[in-house]
Amino acid sequence: MEHAHLLIQRIEDDKLWEKQLTISRNEYIKVSGSVNTNLYFVVSGSLRIFVFDENEEHTIRFGYKNNIITSLDSFISEKPSELYIQAIKKSEVKVISKKSVKKLMASSNELQQNWNEILEQLILQQMNREQDLLTSSPTERYKRVLQRSPQLFQEIPNKYIASYLRMTPETLSRMKKS
Amino acid sequence: MKIAAEKLITDLIESTRENINQVEKFKEYSDEALNYKEDASSWSVLECIEHLNLYGDYYLPEMEKNIVDSKHKANTIFKSGILGNYFANQMLPKEGMKKMQAPKDKNPMGSQLEKSVIDRFEKQQHKTLELLDKARHVSLTKTKTAISISKLIKLRLGDTFRFVIYHNQRHLAQAEKVTANL
Repeated sequence: MEHAHLLIQRIEDDKLWEKQLTISRNEYIKVSGSVNTNLYFVVSGSLRIFVFDENEEHTIRFGYKNNIITSLDSFISEKPSELYIQAIKKSEVKVISKKSVKKLMASSNELQQNWNEILEQLILQQMNREQDLLTSSPTERYKRVLQRSPQLFQEIPNKYIASYLRMTPETLSRMKKS
Repeated sequence: MKIAAEKLITDLIESTRENINQVEKFKEYSDEALNYKEDASSWSVLECIEHLNLYGDYYLPEMEKNIVDSKHKANTIFKSGILGNYFANQMLPKEGMKKMQAPKDKNPMGSQLEKSVIDRFEKQQHKTLELLDKARHVSLTKTKTAISISKLIKLRLGDTFRFVIYHNQRHLAQAEKVTANL
């Protein structure tokens, strides 16, 4: 989320982070059914967002160093969300509430504009993701993600990337070798 | 007690999140540590968790059945029943909590226990979260569930959730104490 750096910088400068959390490996900062309107900025470590479907976990998004991670549905609607947010390894995150973000937006046209850019970028990412899921060839799905987020493969363990790509870890290993 | 239904559900979801995080920590311990018993009559970490699994085996399907079949629409307020409130409060971990005799069929001692006990517990928590969300659409007061020791005694759904989740907290606190002494 490249556009977010302006927002993050401003939050840093104005000291608006509400808290800093150390999250242990596999700890959940959000579970299904809860409302969570916080934005989490990843200082170190990595996290994932996933859902359960028929007893199977489906990882749908990742956050690593310098990313913002949030339960976007709940952030927008302020209603319960089925999403889980879990640390993949020990992580440090800074937290800001929606209320503070909105207040900050209201204080500056530049930031409001920046917020719009962030949202536009998120929409494009969602559309890309939709196309990922409609791509029937596993190799194609792998190539799409490799091309747009090569760093993912450095930061995140195979088994979670495999889930994100909707294939088994074994299939992903084979693909990486060839 | 009287509480906004949504507040109860939110609180119970949060308690469940804490319970899941607690057992994620236990997963990092060795099998040896998880099976450690302070003395013959004390429970190991895995025995504490298996005890909770045995309760979940009964209560989760019972709650699910009654939520799905409930003819009582959601109400914004939950009112505790006298018995349900008593059971729920009995379960809360407190300072100097006494040892309670577990019913024979819920006594985990003597069974072979492995780390998979923890995975089973986690699965039950995900199910619990699913049920808490479904319960937003029915009356927590008018929907009833039977207790495990008698089909004739029914508790209000809100109290059943409280009972089960506080019971989880109680034994996880017990398990935590065991790890503190390792």
